[in-house]
Amino acid sequence: MTFAYHYNWSVLWSQPYITWWMHGIRLTLEIGFFAWIIALSGIFIGTLRSSSSGWLHFLPTAYTEIFRNVPFLVQLFMWYFAFPMIFPDTIRIYINHIIGFNYYIAIIALGLYTASRIAEHMRAGLASIETMEYEAALSTGMTRYQMYRHVIIPHALIIIIPTLTTEFLTIFKNSSVAMTIGVAETTFTSYRIASTTFHGLEATTGAMTIYLLLSLTIVKISGIIESKVRIPGMAGR
Amino acid sequence: MITITDVCKWYGKPEVLKNINVTIERNQTVVICGPSGSGKSTLLRCINGIEKYQKGEIIVNGISLNDPKTDLYKLRRNIGMVFQHFALYPHMTALQNICIAPIKVLNWSKHKAEKEAMVFLEQVGMGSNAQAHPAELSGGQQQRVAIGRALIMKPQIVLFDEPTSALDPEAIKGILDIMISLAKSGMTIVCVTHEMGFAKEVADNIIFIDKGEIIEQGAYEEFFINTKTDRAKDFLKQIL
Repeated sequence: MTFAYHYNWSVLWSQPYITWWMHGIRLTLEIGFFAWIIALSGIFIGTLRSSSSGWLHFLPTAYTEIFRNVPFLVQLFMWYFAFPMIFPDTIRIYINHIIGFNYYIAIIALGLYTASRIAEHMRAGLASIETMEYEAALSTGMTRYQMYRHVIIPHALIIIIPTLTTEFLTIFKNSSVAMTIGVAETTFTSYRIASTTFHGLEATTGAMTIYLLLSLTIVKISGIIESKVRIPGMAGR
Repeated sequence: MITITDVCKWYGKPEVLKNINVTIERNQTVVICGPSGSGKSTLLRCINGIEKYQKGEIIVNGISLNDPKTDLYKLRRNIGMVFQHFALYPHMTALQNICIAPIKVLNWSKHKAEKEAMVFLEQVGMGSNAQAHPAELSGGQQQRVAIGRALIMKPQIVLFDEPTSALDPEAIKGILDIMISLAKSGMTIVCVTHEMGFAKEVADNIIFIDKGEIIEQGAYEEFFINTKTDRAKDFLKQIL
């Protein structure tokens, strides 16, 4: 009696699996994109942390340190399981009835988490700009706001494009954690197919390929963006 | 135009500036010289409030920098500044470097700013470099752009912080020529430099600073020919 494994790659394209995959990919893309929009607030948070003192320094600092130092999985559980508990019963029941609550929570949690990481990239970008560039902007009569808005932030963004690309890739990969709260994204789909068909190898390979293709596409696009905004005459960028 | 009274500055124990007293009249060109680390750049940077001082008072155009109500940002529109290492915005073209301040600070139209900037760039022989980024320009060309960035705001005073120290001899002459014609056009100029040829040609007053103190000041003849202090004599021997 042999226990040979019989490959069945059709779990990648036959019905109903192809519909599941499509749904999974759509959710992965949506969660990644919408979370990214929230995450971009990190540009503002990092700038505020770098440029202010007192409360305006403390608040973004506290935000950054809390969100980037707690594992994303724990944060997700925090928002999904613990957060609704702080509300009185009537509101909590209402929250529990929101259709796609887990989907929204995944977007918000992932967005807030990634924002803290982008804030740190932004801080590094700002720190790499020479003091005299700040002084030059001030010497032309710009206010500090104008200096950051029109000179310093655009420069810092060009500097941190490669690390922002990494974050953009990571946000799609991290969206897979949303399966733990029942969001039927790509990883969830592969798991579901594996447990229905017992073809885990094929299903996992499918998920892997999807993430890889998605990431490589992003790498390609960001390469184009990078070459578009490259500062002429600067070496090695 | 600029009155500096008893200005003192210290970072820690050693004083960077000690009881500085200087008066600069409208249309004057004043040269500040002295050995490195003497505090001359610091003094210059105090004039537009980029550097703070602990004691004394600086009054520019009748406005005291000490007054907490003074809008430093607004005051700086009238005070251009040119840096030793140019300090251009590396991600912008030469034209953008010059135009950004008038567009954002003075609300000029892009068209007006670019037209004025082009007039300046043509004047200094850089019309064809308007779209170049700083890293594509030579030091002398970058400094021309930096001067344009300061002048387009139509300041009443221009501060030069060792504008030629990072340049090769040929470029130095080009920049000095621009500065000389600026001085002769009646601009009030305060310039930290070791270019004594420049001082000789246009300076109304030369201030010699050492260890944060003004050792000597006077017009060209007074400073170079009838030098009073030994310290200044030593210094002049070194650089001439």
